[in-house]
Amino acid sequence: MTTTTPRSGGPAPGLAPEPDYGTPAVRGEATAGVTVDGRHVQVPPGTSVMRAAREAGIEIPKLCATDRLAAFGSCRLCVVEVDGAKGVPASCTTPCVDGMVVRTDTEQVRQVRHGVMELYLSDHPADCAGCARGSCEMQDLARRTGVAQVRYGLVDTPTATHVDGGAARDVSNPYFDYDPQACIVCSRCVRACADIQGTFALTVQGRGFDARIAPGPTDFLGSECVSCGACVQACPTDALVEKSVVQLGMPTRAVDTTCAYCGVGCSFRAEVQGSGPETRVVRMMPSKAGGANEGHSCVKGRFAYGYANHPDRQMHPMVRDSIDQEWRVVSWEEAVTRVADGFRAVQAEHGVGSIGGISSSRCTNEEVYVVQKMVRAAFGNNNIDTCARVCHSPTGYGLSQTFGTSAGTQDFASVDETDVMLLIGANPTDAHPVFGSRMKRRLRQGAQIIIADPRRIDLVRTPHVEAAHHLPLLPGSNVAFINAMAHTIVSEGLHDEQFLRERCEDVEDYLQFIVREENSPETTAEATGIPPEQLRAAARLFAAAPNGSIYYGLGVTEHSQGSTMVMGLANLAMVTGNIGRPGVGVNPLRGQNNVQGSCDMGSFPHELPGYRHVGLDDVRDIYESLWHVTISPQPGLRIPNMFDAAIGGTFKGVFVHGEDIAQSDPNLHHVRQALTSMDLVVVQDLFLNETAKYAHVFLPGSSFLEKDGTFTNAERRLNRVRPVMPSLVGKDEWQIVCDIATAMGYPMHYESAAQIMDEIAATTPTFAGVSFARLDEEGSMQWPVNDKAPHGTPTMHVDGFVRGKGRLVPTVYVPTTETTNRRYPLVLTTGRILTQYNVGAQTRRTANSTWHPEDVLEMHPADAQMRGISTGDRVELSSRVGVTTLTALVSDRMQPGVVYTTFHHPVSGTNVITTENSDWATNCPEYKVTAVQVAVANAGRADLAARAGTDTVDPVAGVADAEVARR
Amino acid sequence: MSLQGGFEVDSEARMHEPPEIRLGGDVARAFAHYPPERAAHEIATHLRKFWEPRMRAAVVARVAQGDSRVDPLLAEAVRRYLAGDIDSGEIAEPSGG
Repeated sequence: MTTTTPRSGGPAPGLAPEPDYGTPAVRGEATAGVTVDGRHVQVPPGTSVMRAAREAGIEIPKLCATDRLAAFGSCRLCVVEVDGAKGVPASCTTPCVDGMVVRTDTEQVRQVRHGVMELYLSDHPADCAGCARGSCEMQDLARRTGVAQVRYGLVDTPTATHVDGGAARDVSNPYFDYDPQACIVCSRCVRACADIQGTFALTVQGRGFDARIAPGPTDFLGSECVSCGACVQACPTDALVEKSVVQLGMPTRAVDTTCAYCGVGCSFRAEVQGSGPETRVVRMMPSKAGGANEGHSCVKGRFAYGYANHPDRQMHPMVRDSIDQEWRVVSWEEAVTRVADGFRAVQAEHGVGSIGGISSSRCTNEEVYVVQKMVRAAFGNNNIDTCARVCHSPTGYGLSQTFGTSAGTQDFASVDETDVMLLIGANPTDAHPVFGSRMKRRLRQGAQIIIADPRRIDLVRTPHVEAAHHLPLLPGSNVAFINAMAHTIVSEGLHDEQFLRERCEDVEDYLQFIVREENSPETTAEATGIPPEQLRAAARLFAAAPNGSIYYGLGVTEHSQGSTMVMGLANLAMVTGNIGRPGVGVNPLRGQNNVQGSCDMGSFPHELPGYRHVGLDDVRDIYESLWHVTISPQPGLRIPNMFDAAIGGTFKGVFVHGEDIAQSDPNLHHVRQALTSMDLVVVQDLFLNETAKYAHVFLPGSSFLEKDGTFTNAERRLNRVRPVMPSLVGKDEWQIVCDIATAMGYPMHYESAAQIMDEIAATTPTFAGVSFARLDEEGSMQWPVNDKAPHGTPTMHVDGFVRGKGRLVPTVYVPTTETTNRRYPLVLTTGRILTQYNVGAQTRRTANSTWHPEDVLEMHPADAQMRGISTGDRVELSSRVGVTTLTALVSDRMQPGVVYTTFHHPVSGTNVITTENSDWATNCPEYKVTAVQVAVANAGRADLAARAGTDTVDPVAGVADAEVARR
Repeated sequence: MSLQGGFEVDSEARMHEPPEIRLGGDVARAFAHYPPERAAHEIATHLRKFWEPRMRAAVVARVAQGDSRVDPLLAEAVRRYLAGDIDSGEIAEPSGG
C-alpha cells in the first residue's frame, strides 16, 4: 500500500467530514495568544496546541486524538516543537499558554513523525481494504508524513503483525465488523465507548504486540455493547467498519437531516450514493453540530434506517369497499376522490362532527399543521387529536396549569450543570439513549441521581454510575410519592422561601396542604412502598442541591393521575427554587421524534397551534381571516372519545395519519370494535399496519429520508428534516392532505413545506421568528423564537413564568380505580427497550430485532416460583379486559407483585390487556397500571402467529430462535 | 365521602359504566378535595374547556335521568354548567394537553 497512489483517498466532493479539532473545546475567554508556524491565534487558556493550530488553519497529523474525546497522548504522531521547551511534546496534551510559539513542521518533528508512522505501517495490512476504499486514515497519514517505504518489512503474513493469525474478523454484530488485523490499538474506540456512550464495553486486552481491543471475553453481539456506533465512528482505520460501507463502498453525497425515532431528535448527516429515487443510504453519521446529540447516536438512529426500503413498504394507494375484501390498487386521484367523497357522504348522513383526524407525532410540523388545518377548515370541526394523547398530554395540562406553557423548561445541555437529578418514570438509557449517555457522563463527573421507578433500570447501577437512591415505588403511587418529597422539604424547612415569595402564587394554600400528615413519608409509605427514612434522605439530597433537576417520562404521565403528577413535579421544582437557569427544571423526555411539534402545531381538539384554546375569539379570528372559514369554538373529540363515539354511533369516519391505534392504544378489543363501527377509515402509513386491517382506504406514506420539513424535539428544538431522495410514492404527505381538503371543497395549496412553516410563523407567536432559511442559518432553534429571542430560548421562565407567577397546585393523591384483587393480584407496568421503537413498525423491519425478537414478561423470582414459571416459559397474561401470551423472563430487576413488558410486537398484543382507565384531565391511558394474573400457558406459538395478522414481519433471517432479549 | 372524594370505586362495575359517567367521575374525584362550591366550579369549567359537546350532552342527560351512578359532585357541577355559572375567563389560560 505504501507504494500505490490512493485510489479513493480523501472524501468525495461535497462530502467533507465535519472538521476535527483534535481535542474538545475549552470554555472561557480567549486570553491566550499563541503563534503556530507564524500564524497568531487567540484561544482560552488550557486549549491544546493541537486545537489552537487547527483554529489557525494548521492540521497536525494525529491518530489517537479526536475532538470528541479527551486527549490521550498515545500515538506520538502529533508532536511539535515549542520554543523554550525541551524535546517534541505531543500537541494534543500540551496546553496553550499566552505567548507560546509553536512549530509544527520542523525537520526534527518530521523525523519523529516519519519514524512513528513507519512503525504503525509495519503493523498495518498492506492490502487494507479501507485504505483502498477511503474509510481508513492510514494511507492518507502515510502520505502526509512522507512515508513511502517501511524499513521493518510490510505485513505480508498475518503472523508478522501484533495480532496473531488466529484473530478472526468478528462479524457477529448485524451492523458493523471488527477486524483485529487492522487495529492499531489507538484506543479511540475504547474511549468513545467509555467517555461518549458510557457503556465501557470495550477494553484493550494483552500487552505489547499482543495488544488488541476486545468487547470483553466474547464477540460483539454477545457483549455489553449497545451498538451505538461511537466506536465505529471513532476508529481511524478499518478495524471497526460499518457493514454497509463494506458492502456498498464509500458514500458520494451527504445531506444533513434529523433522526425520526425518539424525542431526543439527533442531527445526522445522511451519507448516500446515487441520486433521485435510486438513492441508497450508506450510513448515518451523527453531527457534532447537532444541538441535541453533539455527535452521538444510538443503535436506532445510526443503524436502523433499513425499514425505509423494506419489501413490506407500500408504494400505491389502495381502496376496498369493506374490510373483508382484498385491497385494490388505484391512482392517487381515485384514492383522494374516494376519501373526500366518502367523508362528505358520512357528514351528509351523520353530521359535521361525525368525522375526524388523528395526526402523527412521527411526521413533520408542516404535515401535522396541514392535517389539523384540514380537520378544522375542510372537515369543519375540531375532531383532531394526536398520539401525544396517549403519552405526554398530561405534561401539556400539568405544566400549563403551573407554569403557563406545556414546554419542557431546559435544553439537554442543562444536565451538564446539574448537581442532583430526580429521574422518575423514565428509562433514558433504553428509551432516550443519547440523552442517557449525557446523563451518565454528568454522573461520572460527580452529579448524583435519585431514581424513582418500580423496576431497577440500568441507571440504578451501571459502570461508574450508581444512584444515590433507588426508590422502587409501587405503580400508581406517584402522586403520594411526590407529595411526600415536598412534604419532607417543606416540613423540614428546606424549601426556597425567597423563590416562592417572589415568583409564585397560591403559596400559602399549597404549603398548608403539603405539610398535612396525609402527605408525610410515613403515611404515604403504605401506598408507595418506600421506607420513609429512605424517602426523607432522598428529599433532603434534592433540596440541598445547588442545582436540582427533574427528568421524567411516561411513567409519570400514563396514569389516572398523570396530570396531577406533572403538577406535583412542577410544585417540587418551585418549592426548591429549581426553575429558570441552566442545570435545573422540569424536563419531560418526549417519546416520539415530533411529539413536541405535533402538540405545538394544534393537534389537540381544544387548541389551535401554540396551545391556544379554540374558545378564544381573538385566536380563532387569526385563523378565520386567513383561512376564510368559521372555526368551531367547541373542543373536539379526543382519541379515546372518538372510539366511544364510534361505538355510540355518532362518529363514522377517521383519517389516521401515521399512527397505529390498533396496536398502540389501550383495550384493543374496544379499539377494534370502534374501528369496525365506522363507515370510512383512512390510513396513511409506510406499511399495512394493524389499523390498516380496519381501513377502507390506504394511502402510502413517505419515510423521513424523503421529507422536507422540521421536527421539534423534547427540548423544543426545531431541527430541519431534509430529503435525501424524493418521495418514493410520488406525492409528499402534506400535498396529499391538501389534495383531500381541496377535493372536499376547501382549496388548500402550498408551493413547498417552507411555505407551510411561513404560515405557522405568521399565525403563532412562539414561532414568529422561524423559517426554513433561518433554521438553515442557525442549524436549529428552540422555541419561543421571536423578537425577544431571535435565536431561540434554551431556558424557559428565566425572569418570570410564562403565566407571570408560577402557580402551586394542591395535588391530592387519589388512588387509581385499577386495583389488584385475588383474581388479578399482580400489577403490570409497561416500558420500552433500546433496540425497538414503539409499535415496532420501523425497527421490527431492521436487524434490530436481533436483540429483541419478541416482547417478554419480566417478573420477580418470588412471583415466578410460586406460579412454577421459569425464564423462557410461555405464560398467559390476563387482565379484566383481555388475555395474551408472552415469554417469561425471571428477573430480580422487578419487585415482587409487579410484572413488566414492552409493546413493540403486535403478536404479543400487550394492549389487549391494558384498560381504558385514563388520566382524569386528559384521557391519557393508564398504561402503567393494570391488574393482572400470570400463569403457565398451554397455547403454542403457532396459534399466536395465526392470531397475529399482517403486520407481523419475520424480522431478520436466523433470529427467530434467538434467546429472549437480554433484559 | 372518603379523602379521595367521590364514590368508593368498584373496578368491575366501572368497566360497564358509560364513558361520560366513568370519565366524569374521574374529573370529580380529582377536584373533590376542594370545598364543594369550588369543586363544582372547577369540574364545570373542566367539562366546558375539554369535553366535546356530545360528551357534555351525554353527561347532562345522565344527570337529568337521575342515573344513580353519577358522582354527586359531578351532578352538582353539571347543574352549574347548565346554569351557565362558569367563569369563561379561565379558558384564556393556556390549557395544555
